[in-house]
Amino acid sequence: MINKYRWWEYVLIYSGIALFLTFILAPFVEAFVVSLRPLDALFSIPYQFFTDEMSFDAYFTMWSSVPLLFRYMVNSFFISTAVTVLALLAIIPASYAFSRFEFRFKNSILAAFLAINMVSGAVLIIPLYKVMQQLGVLNTYFAMIAPGVAFVIPTGIWLLRSYLIKIPKELEEAALVDGAGRIYTLIRVIIPVALPGIMVVAIATFIAAYAQQFIFALTFNSTNELNPLPVGLFQFFGRENVVWNELLAASLVGILPVLILYVFLQKHIVSGLTAGAVKE
Amino acid sequence: MGQLKLDNVRKSFDTSEVIKGVSLDVTHGEFVVFVGPSGCGKSTLLRMIAGLEEISGGTVSIDGTVVNNLPPVKRGISMVFQSYALYPHMSVYENIAFPLRVEKLNNADVEKRVKQASSILHLDERLQHKPGQLSGGQRQRVAIGRAIVREPSVFLFDEPLSNLDAALRAEMRIELSKLHGDLDATMIYVTHDQVEAMTMANRIVVLDGGYIAQVGSPLELYHKPDNIFVAGFIGNPKMNFLPVSCIDSSNEHVEVKLPNSQTLKLPVNAMEGLSGNNMTLGIRPEHIRFSNGDAIIEAHPNVIERLGIHTVAYTTIADNPNTFCALLEGSAPAKVGTAMSMGFMAADCHLFAEDGNAFERRIPLTEIDPTLMIPDTD
Repeated sequence: MINKYRWWEYVLIYSGIALFLTFILAPFVEAFVVSLRPLDALFSIPYQFFTDEMSFDAYFTMWSSVPLLFRYMVNSFFISTAVTVLALLAIIPASYAFSRFEFRFKNSILAAFLAINMVSGAVLIIPLYKVMQQLGVLNTYFAMIAPGVAFVIPTGIWLLRSYLIKIPKELEEAALVDGAGRIYTLIRVIIPVALPGIMVVAIATFIAAYAQQFIFALTFNSTNELNPLPVGLFQFFGRENVVWNELLAASLVGILPVLILYVFLQKHIVSGLTAGAVKE
Repeated sequence: MGQLKLDNVRKSFDTSEVIKGVSLDVTHGEFVVFVGPSGCGKSTLLRMIAGLEEISGGTVSIDGTVVNNLPPVKRGISMVFQSYALYPHMSVYENIAFPLRVEKLNNADVEKRVKQASSILHLDERLQHKPGQLSGGQRQRVAIGRAIVREPSVFLFDEPLSNLDAALRAEMRIELSKLHGDLDATMIYVTHDQVEAMTMANRIVVLDGGYIAQVGSPLELYHKPDNIFVAGFIGNPKMNFLPVSCIDSSNEHVEVKLPNSQTLKLPVNAMEGLSGNNMTLGIRPEHIRFSNGDAIIEAHPNVIERLGIHTVAYTTIADNPNTFCALLEGSAPAKVGTAMSMGFMAADCHLFAEDGNAFERRIPLTEIDPTLMIPDTD
């Protein structure tokens, strides 16, 4: 492609990007700086970006002030992973069916999925609580995982369906002529070919699950050992004061797994989101 | 054995009927080509034989068994797709082995059969490569390899060469013909390219709008087309058509008047009492001679294409809106804007009644090509 921007257009573009990035990244920077500060230097007036006695102390003391911190992080990771795996088990066959089979109410069901997406999980928290109570599963991992799975499935189906539609029908017909059944074709042919698309869905699901676990854990769980990180962080809120530096240190460490995952998988995300857009 | 029988096969999508009753017998070892313009239903017909498309009416039998409701693999067919449909994540070896893996054959047998197929198709060097690393011709061979490992009784090809460039297409055509001889298999081949049809087929099935327009050997279609559609479809450049009127007819000939009032006595099977009927005279561009023949017409060349061996002249003639095309020798003294006279022999002409059906030319096929023209007797 020919580069057709003028110098002032570049200036506009980059200042736009800079503004955008400032909004997104400023909280992270502030969180990091705060996590380095001693607690009593936090509320200094006037505001100082760099204060004396900055150190990584909070990153070490946080483990002892909240002893279960590591457990919370593991819980978070476990819940998100479980949600992702279970959701994919439903999303892959469902989106395959939506992309290939003709059946009654197909489009209405798809539209319904989209509509459900618009209802926030928070609205359904009370009814869900009753359901969990009836089933006697409150205060278990299941109570936090099951609703999480349910909420990510519709988006996943929409995402993966559009990817599967682009896979040529001949591939399946060839497999059918070669004697393979639907399930065999799905596992041996469609899933490997759709792997970039499945990656995108998996990552999107994982991130969604990581973000939404707070509300489910807060309502459906009161067993401390099972809490995920967002709920666990509340223990930094003391009776009299909040241990801000340790709280933010723990938050940043808690984000780390998602961040690392994202860095390593982002090339799949980009290639997955644009796959099929251009003829090879 | 690979016998195939279609009996009044029909196919409708919702309200529109695409295959309107097709009956055909294919004997073991035949190479049958379905040819026709796009939208004539040739691919649909092939997919119905394959079992990829439901059959709305009539029966398809393979080796004497009605297969209407059998899945593709139980029909004893295998199919090669236009887009090759190779599995991109598997090596060439695994692609070819795929049908055998489905059958759960043990590894030793799989290896034996894949090696056999790959040596026939010259793919031995490529077995560990992925389809993405192969050229178009090699991919096509892998697709064929996947079709032959299962040793089916009928092979189906859906425009397999249309994605290849011209040189490779000619090469693959020869390879496919050889393969047909080596495997002693029945092959059904769909194409819109009449060169492929003419060169490879034992018999050609010309389809037009869901009906069979004509079935016959390549030269039979060329020399004795049953109707105006087949006459116009087979042959390149296309046959020229002139409106004529009948002035006399008998069992053995029809005498017609050309637009320029010349008369011509054509040796065709007809009957008495046709005089006064409007008819269409067909003459192939390659049968037009420069200023000599039983009839001569004046033509004004618009475009001259010189191919070295031939000169193609696209001309207009008086009272005829259609282009009149002549295939002349390479050194023909044709020039745009200079009128030329074109002649043709009565014996080379085709004659069609008003409904488009041909009057059979009184030329024994054996005279045209004695080796190929022995009619198929089933």
